[in-house]
Amino acid sequence: MYRETGLVNSPPPSSQDDAGLLVLVQRGDEFAMSTLFDRYSKVVYSVALRVLRDPASAEDVLQEVFMQIWRNPDSFVAARGSLGGWLAVVSRNRSIDALRRQRPTESVEDIALASNYNLADEAERNSMMDKARTVIHLLPVEQRKTLEMAFFDGLTHSEIAEMTGDPLGTVKTRIRSALMTLRKAFTV
Amino acid sequence: MSMPNNIAPEDLALFAMQLLSKEEAAEVAAYLERSEEARRELARIQGDLAVYAHTVDLHSPPAQVRERLMKQVAREKKPVPIERPAPVETPKRAAPMHGGANVAASTVAAHDEPEPLIGRTSRLIDDEPPKRSAAGRVFPWVGWAVAAGLAVAGGNLYRQRDSLVQERDNLHATVADQATKLDQMTADTAAARQVLETLTDTTAKRVMLTKGKTAPVPQGRATYVADKGALIFTANNLDPLPPLKTYELWLIPAAAGGAPIPAGTFRPDERGNASVILPTLPKGVEAKAFGVTIEDKDGAATPTLPIILVGA
Repeated sequence: MYRETGLVNSPPPSSQDDAGLLVLVQRGDEFAMSTLFDRYSKVVYSVALRVLRDPASAEDVLQEVFMQIWRNPDSFVAARGSLGGWLAVVSRNRSIDALRRQRPTESVEDIALASNYNLADEAERNSMMDKARTVIHLLPVEQRKTLEMAFFDGLTHSEIAEMTGDPLGTVKTRIRSALMTLRKAFTV
Repeated sequence: MSMPNNIAPEDLALFAMQLLSKEEAAEVAAYLERSEEARRELARIQGDLAVYAHTVDLHSPPAQVRERLMKQVAREKKPVPIERPAPVETPKRAAPMHGGANVAASTVAAHDEPEPLIGRTSRLIDDEPPKRSAAGRVFPWVGWAVAAGLAVAGGNLYRQRDSLVQERDNLHATVADQATKLDQMTADTAAARQVLETLTDTTAKRVMLTKGKTAPVPQGRATYVADKGALIFTANNLDPLPPLKTYELWLIPAAAGGAPIPAGTFRPDERGNASVILPTLPKGVEAKAFGVTIEDKDGAATPTLPIILVGA
């Protein structure tokens, strides 16, 4: 999976940097913590802001996610994928929880990512972002909107079906198809 | 709960996004327990979602968020783990071969496991101590309890002491850092003051070097930083002025049609020297030229011809 992007197999040096930083964080190194924050706070904050649409709430999520790393760096291990990807997903899930005003529904330790992008490298991260945006932009508008409603707005398939008037099965298929298109774009 | 034989990939995507009802999510979770392929697919979906999350428009968090986080991090400072060699243990019996934590667990269990009852009973019979009164049985334990209490209290005090020492060291480091910065700022301020005093000292000897022997002519030198609106002007060989007159410096803006901006009035000393240091000027005004005119003693809003000195 994603082999052709050159972002998998043996971890690139900057990816190892993330692992190294986590080891330092585990030992209580505050500078390592600030380095991780500088590297990933923009994505974590932006995802939270997109979901919550409120800067103050997004800042709270940002703080919460990074304090989770500080308190329990073991919750992420390199085998679970890239730290940047993990943080983006955790930020989204925490934001949805905040949106629903409920306690975190899952332990962050439960999230495993099959991908292994080198998001520690800013250039590669930007390249991946550009490519992903292009792919999403080229999706049929129904697929794009449905995925957006599910992921960023946290609407259930039933809610989406009710809002759009589409059958439940269609909503599910659109979400799946959009994700598969995204996956294929990074596979070939 | 009924165990489905299969879960549609569409539902795995919804599960990954936490969009299923509790019952549906429990069903999928149960299926995931049994199916490695489903777990792999779920991980792939999480990877897809991570990529999708990165399509968001990027915004930088406010700077104070970083500050707040690092303060919180400092408040929750972690004790640095001390690495010690693993103790060499002689197990009472061979632990069964399990992986990872199980090995440790079984080792611990072996140590904690009570001895067989038969052996214990025989030892009780062989080494049975003489019977003692209630006080005799209790007092030895009181001693141990006091010792244990003291040990716990001592441990707590030791930890508190470590924490205080760490805090003190941090404070020392901060104070030393601030002292260094203060020294640097003091030195910079002293240097800046000396420059200003030298420029404005009326007793300073100012010498204009010219080629050969030429009659001294009035000269001025303006140093100007438009972005900061900062101007330093020095002049030499100025003619003395009548009592109710003053020289006035003007900034002529580069922008077309820009009116000259008054940049300070000054009177030369008996040697013909004068200076204008950091007059009040708007920031960001590019200068085309500077000029000096003679005005009434309170200065003017517009320059009066002729221009005594001009430079571009």
